Amino acid sequence: MSRHLPALLFLLPLFAAIAMPVACLRHPGRSRPIALAVLSGMVAFSLVNLRGVLENGAVRYAFSGWAAPLGIEWIADGLASMVLVALSLLGLLALLFAGPTSPTDLGGRVVHFYILILLLISALTGIVFAGDLFNLFVFLEVAALSSYALVAVAGGRAVVAAFRYLILGTLGASFYLLGVSYFYAATGTLNMGDMAEKLPHLLTSKTVVGGLLFMFIGLGIKMALVPFHAWLPDAYTHAPESVSPILASLVTKVALLGWLRIVFWVLGVKVVVDDTPVLLLVGVIGALAAVIGAVLALAQNDIKRMFAYGGISHVGLILVGVSQGNRTGFVGGVFYLVNDAFMQAALFFLAGMVICQYGVRTVEDMARIGTKAPWLTVAFIIVAMGMIGLPPTGGFFGKWYIILGALEARNYVAVGAVLLSTLLTLAYFVKLFERMFRERQGGSVLHAFDSPLPFTVSIGVVSAAIILLGVWSDPIIGFLLSYALPPGL
Amino acid sequence: MSDVFAALFHRPNFLTFVIIFLWGFYIMITRYNLVKKLVGMYLVQTSVIFFLVSISAKKGATVPILLSATGPVQASAYTNPLPHVLTLTAIVVGVATLGVALALCSAIYRTYGSLDEEEILKRLE
Repeated sequence: MSRHLPALLFLLPLFAAIAMPVACLRHPGRSRPIALAVLSGMVAFSLVNLRGVLENGAVRYAFSGWAAPLGIEWIADGLASMVLVALSLLGLLALLFAGPTSPTDLGGRVVHFYILILLLISALTGIVFAGDLFNLFVFLEVAALSSYALVAVAGGRAVVAAFRYLILGTLGASFYLLGVSYFYAATGTLNMGDMAEKLPHLLTSKTVVGGLLFMFIGLGIKMALVPFHAWLPDAYTHAPESVSPILASLVTKVALLGWLRIVFWVLGVKVVVDDTPVLLLVGVIGALAAVIGAVLALAQNDIKRMFAYGGISHVGLILVGVSQGNRTGFVGGVFYLVNDAFMQAALFFLAGMVICQYGVRTVEDMARIGTKAPWLTVAFIIVAMGMIGLPPTGGFFGKWYIILGALEARNYVAVGAVLLSTLLTLAYFVKLFERMFRERQGGSVLHAFDSPLPFTVSIGVVSAAIILLGVWSDPIIGFLLSYALPPGL
Repeated sequence: MSDVFAALFHRPNFLTFVIIFLWGFYIMITRYNLVKKLVGMYLVQTSVIFFLVSISAKKGATVPILLSATGPVQASAYTNPLPHVLTLTAIVVGVATLGVALALCSAIYRTYGSLDEEEILKRLE
């Protein structure tokens, strides 16, 4: 039983998604309890899986007993198991949050929404576990297809954004597949472990260099790295309020995790192509993304769009961390990845909440909330502290380790980029809070603070998680150092 | 320079792949009609699939079904079956993407009454 946990974790939401149209054909009200039960089960199983990995080490799961180079292999190591816990927890919270908003927000397509969310979560589980480059491609595409449909589920303006997302996302997938076929042509294998053994002799080959470049472009589009980020702001801004939290917190981060798998587990850390370390290039692009994303966020007026650009800048920060080529930086980057998933979820929960309850869409509108909703304000402040990186939130410790890693690598440009993006993040939150606290528009406050219970619970849990990740940063960093490091780092 | 051309014509499959890929990419960028963009997108996907299949071919090789169950297997006598299998999956993914894309197109047409991107952007203002 426990041996099959990785497959079980994937099949649970997949089968629920397939069974749901039948089960909920006449009773659309059933879809929510089923989805919540499935996600709660996933949280429990992922915790069991994490404990198993802690006790017995990484699990290499071979499907139907075909061993690694021939069959399809899944790797449940420390990194995958930890990300999976965060993934299923955030999925559960996002579903909980979607309850009160969904009927109006989704244009009546409630069952469609739950089917697509379950499909998305199973595909993301597949990406996290995949130990095979082609497998990764298939799950990337399943996740992407369900995201396109989720963005467009309510119709209206979002459909145009979803179409643009689809065009760019498919272009990214084609580039990724092209890279995979280059790698296959060079090594004759698709299994990550097997490829890692064969690649070191082939690094001078133009096929491998080209394949790596195409994979980077493909996954760069999927993770909305700065030159390729054009699809993200529109898609996340116009997506329904119940959809954007789960997309923002999970989809780009899991694509980034796929990239980490390829760079660190397949290529190895010290890869130098034509005298240029690959990681250096990734770090430079990450630093640019961190700064440019934050500048663009500062220029926005729509709050969802502002938060979307904030997410783009944080993808850059994570890349800066992991690309320093030392343990501190890598662990900081991965820790920040988990933190960022929670912070993005919290930001879009809050945005969805103020849009649904108060009709607030722009920074100017924030004045209408003022100090009338103290708990909401507290949650906003906690998330802002996390995003800026103030102690005791997890964001602070993530950035701290990223900066330590950059100092260790004597990469002062990266340190400067992280600090600059922090200042810019501070600036756009100051812009937001200035509207909230300084402007007095007594008459236009709509009604007293009232929030449906699911909103309160999901926002409360993510805000608590942002602080707890900081309070427990020591054990988590220790765990990452002993279980989640790539070979050779 | 001439050896580059010689190398290109030595491997016509790579040349074909590059032409189809860039053609599709060009259509995706330059056309305003959404369905034409999809045609370009499909060309890009197909070109990658074509590339994947073409690298499995070998000179003088036959379909990958063992001729005799007892004798030793001669890998050079059969084409590589794995890229074909990958291709099948990639085609299914491509078809699913195209299905979602066409559904989005029809939803856009129903909402905005046009498939021209500039027209839609004008109505969005």
